[in-house]
Amino acid sequence: MTDNHSSNEKWKSEVDKIKQRFPERKERFHTSSDLTIEGLYTPDQSHSYEKDLGYPGQFPYTRGIQPTMYRSRYWTMRQYAGFGSAGETNERFRYLLKQGQTGLSVAFDLPTQIGYDSDDPMAEGEVGKVGVAIDTLEDMEVLFDRIPLNEVSTSMTINAPASILLAMYIAVGEKQGVKPEQLTGTIQNDILKEYIARGTYIYPPKPSMRLITDIFAYCQENLPKFNTISISGYHIREAGSTAVQEVAFTIANGIAYVDAAIEAGLEVDQFAPRLAFFFNAHNQFFEEAAKFRAARRIWAKIMKDHYKAKDPKSWKMRFHTQTGGSTLTAQQPDNNIVRVTLQALAAVLGGTQSLHTNSRDEALALPTEDSARIALRTQQIIAQESGAADTVDPLGGSYYVEALTDGIENEVNEYLERIKKMGGAVQAVEDGYMQREIHQAAYDAQKRIESNEDIVVGLNEYKLDEEIHPDLLRVDEQLEANQVERTQKVRRSRDQDKTDECLKRLRQAAVENNNVMPHIVDAVKAYATVGEIANVLREEFGEYAGM
Amino acid sequence: MKPIRVLIAKPGLDGHDRGALIIAQALRDHGMEVIYTGLRQSAVQIARAAVQEDVDVVGLSSLSGAHKSLFPKVVEALAAENASDIPVIGGGVIPPEDIPYLEEKGVTKIFTSGSPTDAIAVFIKQMMNHEMRTAPKKIAHIGIAVESLEMALPFYQDTLGLQLEAVEEVDSEMVRVAFFPIGDTRLELLEPTMEDSPIRKFIDKRGEGIHHIALEVDDISKRLQQYREEGISLIHNEPKQGAHDSQIAFIHPKAAAGVMYELSQPKKEE
Repeated sequence: MTDNHSSNEKWKSEVDKIKQRFPERKERFHTSSDLTIEGLYTPDQSHSYEKDLGYPGQFPYTRGIQPTMYRSRYWTMRQYAGFGSAGETNERFRYLLKQGQTGLSVAFDLPTQIGYDSDDPMAEGEVGKVGVAIDTLEDMEVLFDRIPLNEVSTSMTINAPASILLAMYIAVGEKQGVKPEQLTGTIQNDILKEYIARGTYIYPPKPSMRLITDIFAYCQENLPKFNTISISGYHIREAGSTAVQEVAFTIANGIAYVDAAIEAGLEVDQFAPRLAFFFNAHNQFFEEAAKFRAARRIWAKIMKDHYKAKDPKSWKMRFHTQTGGSTLTAQQPDNNIVRVTLQALAAVLGGTQSLHTNSRDEALALPTEDSARIALRTQQIIAQESGAADTVDPLGGSYYVEALTDGIENEVNEYLERIKKMGGAVQAVEDGYMQREIHQAAYDAQKRIESNEDIVVGLNEYKLDEEIHPDLLRVDEQLEANQVERTQKVRRSRDQDKTDECLKRLRQAAVENNNVMPHIVDAVKAYATVGEIANVLREEFGEYAGM
Repeated sequence: MKPIRVLIAKPGLDGHDRGALIIAQALRDHGMEVIYTGLRQSAVQIARAAVQEDVDVVGLSSLSGAHKSLFPKVVEALAAENASDIPVIGGGVIPPEDIPYLEEKGVTKIFTSGSPTDAIAVFIKQMMNHEMRTAPKKIAHIGIAVESLEMALPFYQDTLGLQLEAVEEVDSEMVRVAFFPIGDTRLELLEPTMEDSPIRKFIDKRGEGIHHIALEVDDISKRLQQYREEGISLIHNEPKQGAHDSQIAFIHPKAAAGVMYELSQPKKEE
C-alpha cells in the first residue's frame, strides 16, 4: 500500500513537471456528455464485482445479456434499407441477404410513416424518397416476395401507423403459409420519441399510447416472438443530445410505456420481455461503449427493483444499434467509412444484439449498392477479423471504462429523477422539456465545431480545395406517378363493400375502446389502404399539432 | 436600423429539424428576428406565413430528398401571394447537382450540409444590405502614385492641358499631392515624402501607376459597419480624417479584385 501510494505520488509530481514544459492540449478534457476525463484511471476500491458488474447473462447485466455473447452467435447484421417502390426494395433486400446480412430492416417513405397514401396531396414529392412506399397489402406482398418470413427476422421503422404495417406483415405471412406465432422481428412503435425528435407523429399522445398498448396485448396473444416496441434513443441523439441524455430520455420513455401497459391491465412479466431498445453509436469511442453497459444496468435495476418483475427476461435490455448518421460529413465522404468502423466497434464492445452500419454517402443521399455493401463488410470485418467478438465484454475491468459507466449511470439517474418530478415522460414531452434540452446540446455542439474547439476532419480541418463528388443513388422521378396508379388500381379492383365494412368495425372499436388490432388486420386483408385506416383513426383521435 | 426578419420553414413531411432549429437560433444570435414554422408545412402555408409575418427572407430545410419538388413550390406560392420580392434560400441533404435546378426555379441560394451558420447569417445580411444600399454618388478622385511630382506634372499640364488646382503636403500620409479637376472629379498625383510612406511602399512593390479610386458616399459609418458584418476586408474599420475635413476609409484591394477603393464623405456644407 505504501509502495502504491509513493508510486502514485511520484507519478503526480512527474506529471506536474512535464506539464510545465509540455502543457496538456486542453485545460479540461471531457466527453460529449461533459463528464470530466482524468489523465489516468486506477483501480476503484469501492467497486464490488458481483454487485456492480456481475457475470454476463446475470443481473445487472453490465457485461452483457447472454452468458457467451458473440462466442456463440454474432450480433444480427441488420442494414436499414428501402427506397422507391416495393419491387426495387425487394431487390435490395435479396441482394443484402445474399451478401450475408442476417436480418431485414425496412425503411418506409414519409407518407407511409405519417399515414398518407401516395396519392394524398400531402405526399407530393415525398413518395419513395426516404424509404419504400407502401399503400396496400399488395405493396407489402411485393416487398417480401421470395423472402420466407419464417426464416428472416424483420425490423420495421414504423411508429404512428405501426399497427397497420404489422397487420400487413401478418397478412403476408399467412399468404406464405407462415403462422403469426412463427413471425420474428420488431416494430419501432415508439411514439414518444417522435414528438421529441423524429417528427412522424399522427395522433395526440394519449390515443397514441393506447394504440401501443393495444399492440402489446395483441402480440402477447398472437405474436409471442415479435418485439412489440423498440424504444429509441437513436433519433434523440441524432437530434443533437449528449450520450447521457440519449440514455436518460430513452429510459424515461421506456418507463412511460411500462406504466401505460400496467395501467391497461397487462402483467409486467407478460410484456416486458418483448420490449426492445435502439441506440446510437456515436464518435467518442469509450463513452459510447460505456453508455451501452450503463444503459443495461440501469434498466435491469428499474425492472427488478421498481417494477418487481420476476422473469429475468424482463430485466434484460436487448438493443439494436445504428452508427451515428449526423456524424457523417458530406465532405470527403470516404472518411465516413472510418468513422462508421469506430462507431460500430464501440457498439460491439458495448454488447449490442444487432447493428446497422451507415453508408459513406448518407450525408448526401440514400446509399448506393456499393456503399451499402462496404457498410455491411465493415461489420463482417469487425466480426471475423478483429477478434473483438471472441471474448465477452473485452473492455470490462478497464479502470477508465468502468469509471465512465458509473459516471453515465449517475447522470442518467439524475435526469430520471427530474423527469419523474415533472410527472413522467409524457408530461415532459408535452412541456417540451426534452426538446429544449436536446436543442441546447445541439447548438452547443455546433458552436464548438464553428469555433474549431471540436475538430471534424474534412469539415473544419484538413479540408480539400476541390470536393469529391461521388455517384449518388437517385430515386426515379417517374416512381410517384407509378405508385399512385398502382394504389388507385387496387382501390378499383377490391371488394369495396367488404373494405367499408372493415373500416366501419375499426371505427367502432376505436370509439368503444376495444383493441383495434384485430380490426386493422381484417381491414388490410380487405385491401384498405394505409391512408384510409389512418384517416379513420384521425377522425376519432384527432391529430397532434406539434409544439 | 430595423432587424432583419426571417421565416425558417420545414416544407413537406420531413421531421428532422435539428438543422432548422440551430440556424434559427444562430440567426437570432446575429440580431435577426426569426419565426420557425414547425414541421409539415405546405408551400401555401409557408408563403402566407411569410407575408403575414412580413419577413425579409424565407429559409427552407429539407432532408427527405423532396427538395426538387417542394422548394420551387414555395417560390411559386410566394409569387401567387404577390411576394416574389421575398428571397428564398434553402438547405438540408441536397446533392450538389440539384443546386443549378433549384436556382433556375428561383431559389436564391442553397447551403449544403456542413455550412457554417455564420456564413448563412452573413449571406442574409449581405442580401438585405444590397437591397437597402444606395450606390456611391460619384468618383471623388483617382489617386496616382508617382516618384516625383516635378517629373509627372508636365504630362498632365502640358500634354493633357489640365489645370493644376493646388499642391498640398499631407503629413499624416507622408505625401505631397497635386490636384487636377477633370469634369465632375479629380486626378490626384501622390508623391512620397518619407521612406515609410505607404505610397513609397506601393511604388517599390508595384511601380508607379494608379494607386486607388475614391468613391464619394454620404453614409460612410453605416457602410463600414455593413461591410464589416459581411466580412469585407477593410484597411480602416472606422472613418478617419481626410483632406478638406472629409471622412475617409480604405477598403482592402483583396475585396475588389486587386483595386484599392477609398470611401470619402465630404464635409457637410453648413
